[in-house]
Amino acid sequence: MNKQELSAMVADILKSMGKEPAVKGSEYYPSDPGPQMVDTHYQDGDFVEDVSALDLRKLYLVDEPADAEAFRKLKARTPARLGSGRAGPRYKTLTMLRFRADHAAAQDAVFSQVPEDYAQKNGLISLQTRCRSKDEYLTRPDLGRIFDEENQKLLRSAISKPPKVLLVVGDGLSSAAIMANATQCMAAIRDGLKARGIETGQGVFVRYCRVGAGDAIGDITGCELVCMLVGERPGLVTDKSMSCYITYQPRIGVSESSRTVVSNIHAQGTPAVEAGAHVAELIEKILKHKVSGVGLHLEAQL
Amino acid sequence: MSERLRSVGLDVGTTSTQLIVSELTVENRASGFAVPEMEITGRQILYKSPVHFTPLLDENLVDGQGIRRIVEKEYEKAGIGRDRVDTGAIIITGETSRKENARVVLDALSSFAGEFVVATAGPDLESVLAASGAGAVDYSQKTGKTVLHMDIGGGTSNLALIEDGRIMGTGCLNVGGRLVKVDESGRITYVSPVLSGLTDLKVGDTPGAAQLEALAQLLVGALEMAANLREETPLLAKLTTDEAAGASPRPKEKAVISFSGGVADCILQEHPPFQFGDIGPVLGKSIRESRLCAGEYMLGQETIRATVIGAGCHSAQLSGSTVFYKAVDFPIKNLPVAAFSQLEQDGEDLDRLIRQRLETIDGERAVLAFPGYDAPDYGKVTALAEKIVRGVDRRPVYVCVETDMAKALGHCLILRLPPDTPCLCLDRIRLTEGSYLDVGAPVGPALPVVVKTLVLSNS
Repeated sequence: MNKQELSAMVADILKSMGKEPAVKGSEYYPSDPGPQMVDTHYQDGDFVEDVSALDLRKLYLVDEPADAEAFRKLKARTPARLGSGRAGPRYKTLTMLRFRADHAAAQDAVFSQVPEDYAQKNGLISLQTRCRSKDEYLTRPDLGRIFDEENQKLLRSAISKPPKVLLVVGDGLSSAAIMANATQCMAAIRDGLKARGIETGQGVFVRYCRVGAGDAIGDITGCELVCMLVGERPGLVTDKSMSCYITYQPRIGVSESSRTVVSNIHAQGTPAVEAGAHVAELIEKILKHKVSGVGLHLEAQL
Repeated sequence: MSERLRSVGLDVGTTSTQLIVSELTVENRASGFAVPEMEITGRQILYKSPVHFTPLLDENLVDGQGIRRIVEKEYEKAGIGRDRVDTGAIIITGETSRKENARVVLDALSSFAGEFVVATAGPDLESVLAASGAGAVDYSQKTGKTVLHMDIGGGTSNLALIEDGRIMGTGCLNVGGRLVKVDESGRITYVSPVLSGLTDLKVGDTPGAAQLEALAQLLVGALEMAANLREETPLLAKLTTDEAAGASPRPKEKAVISFSGGVADCILQEHPPFQFGDIGPVLGKSIRESRLCAGEYMLGQETIRATVIGAGCHSAQLSGSTVFYKAVDFPIKNLPVAAFSQLEQDGEDLDRLIRQRLETIDGERAVLAFPGYDAPDYGKVTALAEKIVRGVDRRPVYVCVETDMAKALGHCLILRLPPDTPCLCLDRIRLTEGSYLDVGAPVGPALPVVVKTLVLSNS
C-alpha cells in the first residue's frame, strides 16, 4: 500500500466516522410485548429461532451432570446464569448469544422510545422535559427534571384546579418497562383509589423523564401528591422492570428521602396489577399521614 | 419489622394427650423498596406439657371435662392467659368416633375459645402435621430426598409422602401400639375391633411372645406394602382407615423412611414387652427387623410429640402480603371451600356455576377458590370480579386465588358490590374442594390461615 492509498483510506474512515449511525436512537421502539418465555427442552445442537425466548430458569446445559434434577431445582429459584456448562474454557455458543441478546435488550430499553401515540391512547397529557433527545437525557440528568415554558403552559392549561393525586407515567431508563406494565398498573391504581374513595383526574405522560420531574409537576399544578410510574435502569435479568415513586407535597427541592418507592414491578417480580393495588393502599396511607418516604416509615412505627 | 404470633397445639390421641405453646415470628422478607412479603421465619417452642394419658369415659369416648382440666392446668404451668393465644390447632384422633370425640372436646374447651385455637381433625391434616413436627418435611427440603413419613401412634399410623419438601400425599392405616392392650401379667385386656379376622387373640388370653410377634409382623407388613416394599395384598385395604380409603401415597422412587409417634421410640430402643401395657414395644421391634429399616431410615427429631408440635408450629400458614378485606370480622372459622378449575374460571357461565355451588353448600357462606392468573392483564381481573359479583348474588364474598392478585381483585369486587358487603380476598393459598378454611386477625399486611380437611362444627 503506497502513501497515497493509505491517506485515501484514512480520509475515508474519518469521513464515515462523522456519519449518522444506520438506525438512530430516537427511531427505536420497544418490541411489544417481547418474546413469550417458552419451556425449553433445548439440547446442544438444536436450532433455536429466538435465543431470548428460552426460559433461563429451565435451561440447564451441563454435560454429564452428577445430579441434574437437584441443579434444576436450584435454578428454578434464581434468575442467575447458573449451570450453563462450558466448551473447553469458554461459554457455550448459546450462553454467549443469550448474554449478548439480553445485553442488547437492556440497551434497547434505554435508547428506545415510548410510541408517540402512547399518551393519547391512554388519555394522558403529553409533556417533554427540557431534554431534546435520548442522548441529552442520558448525559444531562438535570434537564430531565424540568420543563420549558411551553410544556409548563400546556400542563397549567390542562390542569387548572390543583388535584389531590396526580398520576404520572415517565419513560425513564426503560421504555420497554413502561410499555409492558404502566397501563395495567395505572388501571389498578385508579380502581384501588376509587374503591377507597379517592378520585383521580387526568394523568400525565412525560418523555425523557427523571423522577425529579414529578417535583416540577407538583410546583406547576399544586397537587398534593404525585405518583410516578417510571422505567428502571434495565439489567440482564429483565429489561421491563418498573418502579413507582410516590411523593407527598412534591415541590422542587424536596429531598429524595421523602419519596416512597415500590420497585421491581414486572411479570417475574410483583405483577403490575397487584403492585397497582398495593400502591393505591400506600397512597391512601400517605394522604392520611400527610407524609411519604422515610417519614412514613417513622410514622408507621409510632 | 417482625411480629409474633402465640400458637397453641393440642393433640388428643387414642393414647396420649399433649399440649405445646409456641411463638411464631413473622417478618417481612422483601426489601423496604418492594412490595412486602411476609413469611413465618421462626418457630420457637415456649412450653411442652408432659405426655398425659387421654382421659376416656369408655374405650372410645373421650372425657371432655378431663381434657379441660388438663388444658387448664397446662395453661397455668405455661403461664399464659386464655386471651394471649392467636392461633393453633386441636388435633383429635382415635380409632373410632372421631367426630363424636371432636364434638365432646370442642364443647369442653368452648370457654377457651376467643381467638383460641382452630378446631381441626382428620387423618390428612394429622399426617401433614406429624411429618412437619417430626422435621421430615424440612429434611426432605434440605436434602431434596423423597421421604415417606410414618407417625405410628396408639391406634393409627399416619403416612405422608414428601418430595423435595412438598407433601405429595397422605394416608392412614389402622396400625398402632394399642390395638391390643395387656396387663402386667401379659393377659389381654382389649383387642381393637379393627383386628377382627386378622388375629385369634381375644380378651383374657395370655399369648406367648411368638403369637404377639406374628400379629406385629402382620401389621408391619401392611406398612411395608404402603411403602412399596412388599407386594400388595388385600390386607392393606383392610387396614386402611375409612377416612383415608384409597388415598395411600406410594413413593415412586426409593424413599427414606422416617418415623415418629409413640411406637417410634420402641424402634431403636429395646423395651420390656409389656412396659406400656400394650404391644408398642413388640411392634417397634418388628419394624426394626422389617424391610422398612433395611434401607435408609431415620427417627424424627420429635417422636411422640411430632403431631402436637406440628399442630402448634405448622398448622398456620400465611396468605400473600397483598390481600384485601372489608367489613369482615376476624377470626373467620370453618368456611367451606368451593374450588373452581382453570377451565371453569375462564368459562362464560362461571357466575351460574358459582350460584349453583353456593346453593348446594350448607348455609350462606363459602370461600370461592380459583387458580388465578400469573401477572394478569387488568381486564382479566375485572372480568373475573364481574362474574363473581353476579354469582354470589348479594351474599358476603370470600375469595381465594393461588396467584398474586388478591388486592387488585378485591378492589374490583367492592367497586361492583352493594356497599357494606363483607368482602375478603386472599392469595397464594391453594385450597381444594371439600376442605375448610379458618382465617385469623391480620399479621402485618398478611393473614394467618389454617386449611382444614375435616370440619367438626359449623358454629
